[in-house]
Amino acid sequence: MFRFLHNHYHALIQGLIRIRANWIGSVMMFLVIGITLSLPTTGFLLIQNASQISNKIQYEAELSIFLDKEIKAEQVDFLHSALKKNSLVKKIHFEPKLVAWEKLQAQLNLSSIEDGVSKNPLPDAFFISLNTLETKKIDSFVSDLKALEGIEEIVLDGGWVKKLRSILYLIKIGIVILGCLLITVLVVVITNTVRLQTLTYQNEIEVSRLIGATNAFIQRPFEYTGLIYGLGGGLVTLGILKIILVSFNLVADRVENLIGGNITLNTFSVEQSIFIIIIAMFAGWIASYIAAKQAIHKLEKNY
Amino acid sequence: MIKFTNVYKRYPGEMDVLQDISLAINAGELVFVTGSSGAGKSTLLKLISAVEKPTSGTIFFENQNLSYLKKNEMPFLRRKFGMIFQDHKLLYDRTCFDNVLLPLAINDSDPSDIGRRVRAALNKVGLLEKEKLMPITLSGGEQQRLAIARAIVSRPSVLIADEPTANLDRGYADEIMNIFYSFQQVGVTVIISSHEIPPTKMKYKELHISKGSLNNVPLLT
Ligand SMILES: Nc1ncnc2c1ncn2[C@@H]1O[C@H](COP(=O)(O)OP(=O)(O)O)[C@@H](O)[C@H]1O
Ligand SMILES: [Mg+2]
Repeated sequence: MFRFLHNHYHALIQGLIRIRANWIGSVMMFLVIGITLSLPTTGFLLIQNASQISNKIQYEAELSIFLDKEIKAEQVDFLHSALKKNSLVKKIHFEPKLVAWEKLQAQLNLSSIEDGVSKNPLPDAFFISLNTLETKKIDSFVSDLKALEGIEEIVLDGGWVKKLRSILYLIKIGIVILGCLLITVLVVVITNTVRLQTLTYQNEIEVSRLIGATNAFIQRPFEYTGLIYGLGGGLVTLGILKIILVSFNLVADRVENLIGGNITLNTFSVEQSIFIIIIAMFAGWIASYIAAKQAIHKLEKNY
Repeated sequence: MIKFTNVYKRYPGEMDVLQDISLAINAGELVFVTGSSGAGKSTLLKLISAVEKPTSGTIFFENQNLSYLKKNEMPFLRRKFGMIFQDHKLLYDRTCFDNVLLPLAINDSDPSDIGRRVRAALNKVGLLEKEKLMPITLSGGEQQRLAIARAIVSRPSVLIADEPTANLDRGYADEIMNIFYSFQQVGVTVIISSHEIPPTKMKYKELHISKGSLNNVPLLT
């Protein structure tokens, strides 16, 4: 166990020596990885914040049921009791046309006499809240209602929040796909860089092979180099996100003073930050593994 | 210990470099492989140390048929040899100490013992006080000795040296040869290729190659 650890320690030191020997290239690598990964992560952060806001919007599906203007009082009572009995209905509010008319007049600040509109144009209406958000249930409920006598029109409210959420969800998927593509690009770029490095260390690889190094031993320092590239790149990504966040919130602060309200971008959680770093390190590792494997394979023509 | 039976070696696109080589080397022997330049000395040493594969014929090392050796067993076989290459193959990006350390890192030696063993090897070739220097700052003879230190640090049972004194002055060459002799004295099998046999009082076996074939020279004293 101790030897195993020492072995990895030796490889890690070799990896660090190689990073330092080519530190300009290494810093470039950190930046390439960091900036590339900051694109999807920034997008993801924005979407995550948008979803958090949209989740805060309390909503329930609401139906506005407008009745025939000529409806009889018994039919209204019948509808009222029918709605009350339905298990989907959470809350019912009945608004007689007179009440609605008075409200409207008050709002528009006019009187029927002055305006010459003597006839109330508004119908009686039920405003009900449902205790489900499932589109299927709501749709069948609405078509059941439409079959009843005395109902003129039914308007469904509250659907927009749902639409917003599905759009956010779609964008999230898009960003994840974009992220995967960018990670693939990164792997290709890192592979190429490490491949060039294996040329620099051709001597060492050859001598090591000749005096009995296993392929794993030869590959290991390169794998650590790749892991360090990933770690550096991941940290750069987090740094970039931090800068974006701080400057956004600074601007948002000023805007808030003007328009009121509270706009603040929340950062990633610790778990998410660690996840970003792990993804970056994984990309670095897999790339360097491929590159080192190729380099050894080229030398392996004999034995 | 080492046994060749009807071994042929041909590099791709070349004539046979070695033809019908049969030989035996016993444990603890001092062996000189001689022949003119291009005769195939290096090739023979590479076959012994399994750096190259024979085109046909069989090679045994410690009763192990090298043709049947799997790829992933090869590194472990090579660790049994201490190799000194014609072109040193020192690593110029690290100190003398780190050059000698490489085989110990490769064969997973006890970490607590590594420093002591590296210094013992450097001491053996008289380079102890140069452990922190870069190999490029050493003279030709010193570089050769550094290569020997790297070959002996893991205490191999066989030392293989390809023309270790080719480019050295007489004095340096004698020094180097004496190091090899001292290892043979303690039971290590020593195989050295050279243009010609250096003057020595040691008991040795000569394998003389000319035009790719072995002319068996009887054991001299
Ligand atoms: N890797 C190789 N590929 C092709 N030809 C080689 C290779 N190594 C050696 N040779 C050829 O094999 C012959 C013997 O080479 P070598 O064993 O190095 O001889 P020596 O060490 O006695 O000078 C030479 O003609 C050389 O050109
Ligand atoms: Mg040669």
